Amino acid sequence: MPGNVVRARVPITFSYKNRVGHALEQYINGLKEKKILGVKCPACKKVYVPPRTVCGKCHKPIDQMVEIGQEGVLKNFTTAHVTIANGEITDVQQPYIIGLIKLPGASSLISGIIKTSSVPEVKTGMKVKAVWKETTQGDYNDLAYFEPA
Amino acid sequence: MNERVAVVGYKQTKHTFDSPVARERMIYELVKSLFKDLGITRDDIDTFIFASNDFTDGRTISEVYTVPRIGSFMKDETKVEADGLNAALYAYMRILSGLYETALVIGFSMAGSEFRVPLTQAYTLDPVYERPRGIINFYSTAALQASAYMKKYKFTDEDLARLTVKNLQNANNNPYAARKEPTISVEDVLNSKPLYLPIRQAHVSAYADGACAVILSSKKAAKKFTDTPVWIDGVGHSMDTYYIGDRDLLGMEHLSAAAKKAYKMAGIKNPKKEIDFAELHTNFASEEPVFAEAMGLFKPGSGKDVVKNGDSGIGGALPVNPSGGPLGANPINATGLIRLAEASEQLRKEAGKNQVKGAKTAVVHAQDGPGAQLNTVFVVRR
Repeated sequence: MPGNVVRARVPITFSYKNRVGHALEQYINGLKEKKILGVKCPACKKVYVPPRTVCGKCHKPIDQMVEIGQEGVLKNFTTAHVTIANGEITDVQQPYIIGLIKLPGASSLISGIIKTSSVPEVKTGMKVKAVWKETTQGDYNDLAYFEPA
Repeated sequence: MNERVAVVGYKQTKHTFDSPVARERMIYELVKSLFKDLGITRDDIDTFIFASNDFTDGRTISEVYTVPRIGSFMKDETKVEADGLNAALYAYMRILSGLYETALVIGFSMAGSEFRVPLTQAYTLDPVYERPRGIINFYSTAALQASAYMKKYKFTDEDLARLTVKNLQNANNNPYAARKEPTISVEDVLNSKPLYLPIRQAHVSAYADGACAVILSSKKAAKKFTDTPVWIDGVGHSMDTYYIGDRDLLGMEHLSAAAKKAYKMAGIKNPKKEIDFAELHTNFASEEPVFAEAMGLFKPGSGKDVVKNGDSGIGGALPVNPSGGPLGANPINATGLIRLAEASEQLRKEAGKNQVKGAKTAVVHAQDGPGAQLNTVFVVRR
């Protein structure tokens, strides 16, 4: 079969400045004050974290901000041996933990990095607490990681 | 109005990790050869539906360059920005409307050689929360789902490895599969490169270059194409929230809802008994028991026993992915449509070494989004 092996390089670069919307804006502002915020649906009382503006189930607007507890339970986790950035899967020197955490007052599980002195220490059901950057600046990384409570 | 719609023709490419030809030629040759098999021309097709994606194609309104190849010049043509089974769902509805008698559905991508799959996946994540955080992606989501299943139901790494080997053995006997690992062992899978544990490299589907074309027709027009139509007797479609922390990764209520809707349309009361085999769009081996259980094909949590007893193998109680599934070839956008082609082949007893004996009713599934956020289910019968 004749090969069609000549390839054109087709780079595409886009850069957008999306508005995060008023719900996430308040969440990010909350992080700066070392607070975790959610929104409570007036109909089903579900508390979404991170906050959003509409409850999909009830199809109602939600704008009642509530503060969420910072010490919760690890419900599920994966031990990551790689990172994925810019479409590349890259090995990491030290495996790390990505967890889903149930915080008091939230219906959603929040995802985050779990840091312990060693990976085998991590168990579902363990108590974890939020660890903040010393100086917060109003971005997602202000909530640095979770550690055993 | 048309009352019943059939699959009357299908063909897929031999999928590869590095296609020797460009996409335009791959698509042209596939469609022409399908037309030749059926003894038809483009004049016999009323509407053309393309399944593709601007990000996987690297261009916008991406079908403008590929549609001349499928024969839709000056005809009714549209694109679905999702898996090809969704394009088949649109084609099905168009034919039901009575405005069209026949439709060509085609899905393709060059996922094996032309772009970085995780990058196009990343563009489907929430741009203002998940993407900047860089924690949640298709792989880590699959790992969290697998981990939840394995912990809850004591499904071990070895069970998962056996399931992977089962699919790769089927893929090895599938002439269209890209991934051929005839000697892979349970040990090999257990020792493959760790990504997001429990997910290892061997569990990941084979992102490949390839295409699949399917022709649907009304009952009235079916005779023109074939004496052995495969009937689409039920369809269902459902989408969950994009936010992983709000989903039931195990119960998959949305997949369950889509399957129930399709079963109800097809008059199926007990899928465990009435479905003869399933073709599921799994991006990771670990998704198989989760999806199969959400679709009512096996008892919740029975994955361990299913693997032990070989229930999902060819010759088992309810074979799952006798084709090898996407572990053998995952040309994104075509993958779910391939499930329909593979199921049709089985129902027409054309599946060679992978033939499921006496199969009359099958369920076919496709997904899009991280952790199968969106699911489409077809029930097909011979």
